[in-house]
Amino acid sequence: MNDAPDTLVSAAAALAAGRVSSIELTRDCLERVARLNGTLNCFLRVEEEAALAAAAAADAARAAGRRLGPLHGVPIALKDMFYDPARETGSGSQVRAGFHGMRVATVSARLAAAGAVNLGALNMTEFALGPTGHNVHHGACRNPWNPDYIAGGSSSGAGAAVAARLAYGTLGSDTGGSIRGPAAVNGVLGLKPTYGRVSRAGAMPLSWSCDHIGPLARTAADLARLLGVIAGQDPADPTASRRPVPDYEAALDTGVVGLRIGIPGNFYFDGVDADVQRRLDAALATLAAAGAVLVPVEVPDPKSLGELSRAIVYPEAAAAHAHWLRSRPGDYSPQVHARLASGVAIPAPLYLEALQLRPRLLAGFVDSVYARCDVLATPTLALRVPTLAATDVGGGEAMWAVIAALVRCVAPFNYLGVPALSVPVGPDANGLPVGLQLVGRPFAEALLLRVAAAYQRDSDWHEHAPPVAAF
Amino acid sequence: MQDRDPLQPLSTATVAALAGLAGLPPLDAPTLARIAEGAARAAAAVRASAAGSLFDVEPASFLAELERLAEPPA
Repeated sequence: MNDAPDTLVSAAAALAAGRVSSIELTRDCLERVARLNGTLNCFLRVEEEAALAAAAAADAARAAGRRLGPLHGVPIALKDMFYDPARETGSGSQVRAGFHGMRVATVSARLAAAGAVNLGALNMTEFALGPTGHNVHHGACRNPWNPDYIAGGSSSGAGAAVAARLAYGTLGSDTGGSIRGPAAVNGVLGLKPTYGRVSRAGAMPLSWSCDHIGPLARTAADLARLLGVIAGQDPADPTASRRPVPDYEAALDTGVVGLRIGIPGNFYFDGVDADVQRRLDAALATLAAAGAVLVPVEVPDPKSLGELSRAIVYPEAAAAHAHWLRSRPGDYSPQVHARLASGVAIPAPLYLEALQLRPRLLAGFVDSVYARCDVLATPTLALRVPTLAATDVGGGEAMWAVIAALVRCVAPFNYLGVPALSVPVGPDANGLPVGLQLVGRPFAEALLLRVAAAYQRDSDWHEHAPPVAAF
Repeated sequence: MQDRDPLQPLSTATVAALAGLAGLPPLDAPTLARIAEGAARAAAAVRASAAGSLFDVEPASFLAELERLAEPPA
């Protein structure tokens, strides 16, 4: 289709108006997957038959005058970690190859109930543990802006598939930046909601305390639509908040006049690549021109927050994997095995102390930062997108340094549980995307989406498709 | 008694012993060293952040604290 809608919301509108059928859109996406997946390796499993059947059912329902929901007939795809008894969910691993979950993940069920058509399972870092998108078992996912570069991780396929126009939206998970990093390097938006905003029932766990599930898409409006579908309380997940879900699309166009955007004077911009800085400055200038007020802020404990996150994530991950680490160590890649093993060196009292500190440090962060601004702005990644070669398992100490840099600006907000969104703001000197991270107080997703929408209204970067998308 | 340097890593032998205690197969020397350094950094961060007793705090209060600190509904 040469005239296929370019965004999820416009696709939903075209479907609702009868200008296109779900079968047409789904076939278009499947044809693109067939053309590009050999280059990008976004999809681990393409569920063509099931997707076309769901699309046909969506078209039949519309013909009968029955609207399924706000995603009626829209093709989307899910990271390979959301359980469904009818589908294999391998979590990007060898250990769980062929696994079928006992229940449908709540987010998958909500997407289906809203009418979405699931195209299949997306590539990811093995067990979501790593920020580069390498995968020994399934091969690395590649960046559609340049396949020699990383697609990020762990939601590598989720970021690359949306960027390459293989799906209108995707779901990923974020334990230390795994939605925002891939969103940034692939030039799309990604939202890690507040801890508790989106149910995790039926999703693969990595760290019970720091896991978040959220959407990736090409516009703020698309993210708002997806979040509105998946958010909300869930009896199957005791950590899901009962707080009402607002209409995330309602306030998207209200602008940023008078809104205070905080620019950290410490930590987040330290050592940022000059080219990345230039892009971020331009994006912030765009927001200032739209009426936002840029204010300097000092952020408490930023370096400690990343380490505190580590003190929680690794013991929890090691505990979740303990049985398989003992019984099937050879089924893990050496890199993921080594990272999981990190958890054994964190003493239990230290782990619990890091957990107990969380409410106190959260309150301190919110009181200190959001007294002076409404939204905090940081780089998503302070470095240019690295190549696959520079971050491969054979990269030695330099590789570990790059990996640490990839999570530096994002992991603190998994510890704090506050919402954070990455919006693409243009290419670096290598032609790879740069991401601006917006961070809000708890449950301020609507505000973050509003700022991203204001930026996208006054810029056109999100309308640029990566070169591979033209194939 | 002198305080231990908060950034001094665990010995790799200690990490190897902990891994063995957890039933993991032997880890190579670079991995042991990296784990030791990471654990030391995490421990230092916890110590630096813990200004006061946490005796009356429980982790389960985290979601409630997020909700308390939320912006008012639109």
